Amino acid sequence: MKTRSIRFRLTAWYAGLLTTVVLALAAVLFLHLQSYLEGALAETQTRRAHQIADTLVAKVRAADEANIGGEIASLYAPEKGDRFIRITRPDGGVIYRSGPPNSQAFDPAAVPPAAPEPPWEFSRKQAVAGGAALLISSVRAPSASGGTYLIEVGTSAAPVDAMFRHLLVVLGLGLPLVVALAAAGGYALVRRALRPVDEIAGKAEQITQHNLGDRLPVPGTGDELERLSTALNHMIIRLDDAFQNSKRFVADASHELRTPLTVLSGELESLAQDWELSAETRERLGSLLEEVGRLVKIVERLFALSRLDAGEAQSESVRFDLAELAASTADQMALLAEDRRIVVTCNAATPVAVEGDHARLKQVVVNLLDNAIKYTPEGGAVQIRVKSAGSRAVLEVIDTGIGIAGDQLVHIFDRFYRADKTRSRNPDGAGLGLAIVKSICHAHQGQIEVESAVGKGSCFRVLLPLADEHSLPSATKPDSAS
Amino acid sequence: MRILIVEDERKVSEMVSRGLKAERYAVDVADNGDTGWAMAHTYDYDLVILDLGLPGMEGGELLRRIRVRNAQIPILILTARDATSCKVESFEAGADDYITKPFAFAELVVRVKALLRRGPANQASKVRIGDLELDRLAQQVSRAGQRISLTPKEYALLDYLATHKGRVLSRTMIVEHVWDQSFEGLTNIVDVYVRHLRKKVDDPFPAKLIHTVRGVGYSLEAASEA
Repeated sequence: MKTRSIRFRLTAWYAGLLTTVVLALAAVLFLHLQSYLEGALAETQTRRAHQIADTLVAKVRAADEANIGGEIASLYAPEKGDRFIRITRPDGGVIYRSGPPNSQAFDPAAVPPAAPEPPWEFSRKQAVAGGAALLISSVRAPSASGGTYLIEVGTSAAPVDAMFRHLLVVLGLGLPLVVALAAAGGYALVRRALRPVDEIAGKAEQITQHNLGDRLPVPGTGDELERLSTALNHMIIRLDDAFQNSKRFVADASHELRTPLTVLSGELESLAQDWELSAETRERLGSLLEEVGRLVKIVERLFALSRLDAGEAQSESVRFDLAELAASTADQMALLAEDRRIVVTCNAATPVAVEGDHARLKQVVVNLLDNAIKYTPEGGAVQIRVKSAGSRAVLEVIDTGIGIAGDQLVHIFDRFYRADKTRSRNPDGAGLGLAIVKSICHAHQGQIEVESAVGKGSCFRVLLPLADEHSLPSATKPDSAS
Repeated sequence: MRILIVEDERKVSEMVSRGLKAERYAVDVADNGDTGWAMAHTYDYDLVILDLGLPGMEGGELLRRIRVRNAQIPILILTARDATSCKVESFEAGADDYITKPFAFAELVVRVKALLRRGPANQASKVRIGDLELDRLAQQVSRAGQRISLTPKEYALLDYLATHKGRVLSRTMIVEHVWDQSFEGLTNIVDVYVRHLRKKVDDPFPAKLIHTVRGVGYSLEAASEA
């Protein structure tokens, strides 16, 4: 259980609060009941003591002391009622003490005397050696003979104590049970209330720039969660709009640039071939044409990217051998490498079947190989490898080139990013090649990774999902062209 | 040969018509779909070059109407729309070829010629340019009687230049024909192959056949024919 989840924290708070409240309630109940019961008992006994004082002690004379015992026994029968009665003379002599009760709950002889000079009327709980405690109410009463007698009436506290013990047991067992039940119920409730949050979070994690048209589930509960998911959905709509706007802008802009570029390149082209112009003028027109050509290329690549963004990447989906594609492409580009005395080795012997747009994936291989060759010094080596690993096809292009610094690695797939401003005076490059590679890989549910060490070389790795079965429909052999 | 251009961008239509007139074609220009339709069914054209985004009648509609009236006339679409779906739609509606703006004028001319010829270009089994000879059946090349051995790609490049001898071909056109579209943007591959081809075809001989037109591309022609 995650201790930081709202579910857990809410339940813990709830259980803690409940425990405190129930404990306080039980304590109040317990103490109140105890004082009430003991108070009521003391009152009854005090009344009885007064009765004894009024009816017997008030009339007593020294000679009658012995008779009191008989009268009390016949009137109150303390032994039968498990009661204790003791009458003490002012000098401390006991003139009457009830006998052992029938239940043998206590020994009357062992009850210690009351403290000297007690108040006129009071109650106490008296522990008695060898038996249960006694609740004793005492009354001092003047007698006919002149002295003040102490009349004590008591009863065993055992039944009351037993009841409280029982109550304690019930509370001790019941309370944790109640709290546990309530906590479990609370946990379930909170979980139910928060389930839409899980659903919303799960869906929100799946939303990327490619499925901004999707919406989060809205629990139709009318509560805060509904408001939250509606608010998030509105945010996604605004994001979607912004994203669509920027894509439309790129598409519109590159579209609008086409016509003026057509006129520019067409007119320059016919001028550049006008033999009546001087060679120098034609040369300058050619230079202009080259720049127009670059513009055209950038516009076309931007347009291609905006189409990839729009999800048009997989206009066709065929099954083919990635190893064969790598081998034949490497072969077609061999002269380009040879020209710079770079050795290209291809390590793609076993067929690796993938599914996708053959032309676009070929463009991935072409762009990666072209980069590798471009940024490898003369006499270096470029290796292309294709293999399958797990459920994925892996294509690697490894060079011994100049490498890319770590802080630039994260940016090389950005549009118009150039790792090194000084080396990039290549008329073909617009800083869009790798962005296109990345877009194509993503459109095929693939990934592109790069590792690089400055001065040692780079490794670009494309990961694509393998086609369902491993075998190819027909054996293909590498193209041996050029 | 009479060609109708239906294009609302005046500068584009002027440029195209001037270029085509220089190639000795008769050219008419309509700057909206309705005029285009009126001209197309009044006169007898050998080829129509059609923009898709037109004021008045839409290019697509015009394409369908012309095709219904005349099943034979070649129609070349010239448009800024380059979505695959748009191309497919146009071909289904009866277009014969499709060029997206911006385009190299040289490419337009090559395509117009191919459409008017209605068949593969220069399919003679032997082609001669000066003292260079291509034997298409044997895929062999010789110059001044000496055999020149070429790799398949070098041969394909030379063959493409020879097919359009005397015409400047852009790097983009060469890449598309000799390689495929995946290599687009990689035009230095053309330069490298042309350099290798020159080493074998031109360097050992005093007269040069492969010419560079800066900013435009390459052409193959014998000096005397220029």
